[in-house]
Amino acid sequence: MLTGLRVFPDAALVQVATTESVNPIRQFALVTALAAAAGGSLVGVSAATSHVAAPVRTAGGAAVQVRAAPSTLALLAGIPQHGTALGRKDAPVTLVEFADLQCPYCGLWARDTLPVLVRKYVRTGSLRVEFRGLDFLGSDSAKALGAAEAAGLSNRLWTVVELLYENQGTENTGWVTKPLLSRILDVAGLEPALVFQHVAGARVQARIDAARQESQTLGVPGTPFFTIGRTRGAQAPLQVQSLDPPEFETAIAQALRS
Amino acid sequence: VRLRLAIGALAFVGTGISAYLTAAHYAHTTPICTSGGCAIVQRSEWATLGPAPVALLGLLAFLAVLASAALGHRLVALGGYGVSVAAAIFAVYLVAVQTRELHAVCVWCVVSDAIWLLLAVLAATRVLRNNDLLWTRASSPRSSPSSSSAASRRPRRA
Repeated sequence: MLTGLRVFPDAALVQVATTESVNPIRQFALVTALAAAAGGSLVGVSAATSHVAAPVRTAGGAAVQVRAAPSTLALLAGIPQHGTALGRKDAPVTLVEFADLQCPYCGLWARDTLPVLVRKYVRTGSLRVEFRGLDFLGSDSAKALGAAEAAGLSNRLWTVVELLYENQGTENTGWVTKPLLSRILDVAGLEPALVFQHVAGARVQARIDAARQESQTLGVPGTPFFTIGRTRGAQAPLQVQSLDPPEFETAIAQALRS
Repeated sequence: VRLRLAIGALAFVGTGISAYLTAAHYAHTTPICTSGGCAIVQRSEWATLGPAPVALLGLLAFLAVLASAALGHRLVALGGYGVSVAAAIFAVYLVAVQTRELHAVCVWCVVSDAIWLLLAVLAATRVLRNNDLLWTRASSPRSSPSSSSAASRRPRRA
């Protein structure tokens, strides 16, 4: 290894000086340490950019974590919410989603496909998405839906819905706890105690009943179920083979052209 | 030679898996999945590192190791070993994320992670077995000009 260059004073002689023979094991250890540092850096960057929100102690003392809070808030930041609607009122196309907050596939769609549609169509003013909450899967569905609809009274329904899907648990295991709802409402910028006051209120119950009635009228076979159409026009059921973005993008593009 | 072949074969398989997952990422499609958790894992926050999908980083790393297996140069082999160790550490972390944070398993990712662990072991074995791959200085002066060796004290013309 070239480690030094010595110029001898008697002439323009240069000697390339090398160090003692390098211990192979030490060199192996050096490469290993450098690689470990690189691997550790990758882990650090990943953990820092994909972190779970820090635990927050509620009044009851239980530590509650809300996953994906920063990314959810960033996704919806600046997009108008009004009641159960996400997006501008004058968006040319409206997509209506019938969903249960415990439904795993609704969660998959909310986590994977909706962000694509939000960035591509909702944020640009082309699409408006409306939520029709159902609670047929069980008591956790009802608790979650009540909080989401109550948050809708403060125009934060979509923030709460997305956070619930990001933190979705196994059906009817009691995962929709008051500390979790409190933390999610808090992340959404709401005062949990005030929201809980509205859960059993007439306005919230009217919205839930209306969505249930609408789903029965349409004969919704399961969730998630979608209808799509011009915002001022009629809605038509959207039949999709998968919940991936391309099918929805195609349907939205067709509706935009119609 | 056997070690190089094994490393090359594993890196080739890993390259294929990573290329498939990278394509699925950019095509916004769900990978074919037997474990049921591929979509959750692939579209989680942990699936990207900054602007780049982790699958793409894995693809580049597998290609680097593949090249290191194909080339016999000692620095390339050491580089391949370094990449394998770094990737193996990251792979262990990603498996922990799947089981502890996401509660979902992507079988493609797990196979890829297992390949990284194997590659780290094989690459280490390759480097340790072959002294030529280490920076030994058998043909170099073994002491500095100030040492007692006359040969080493004799200046050489540049």
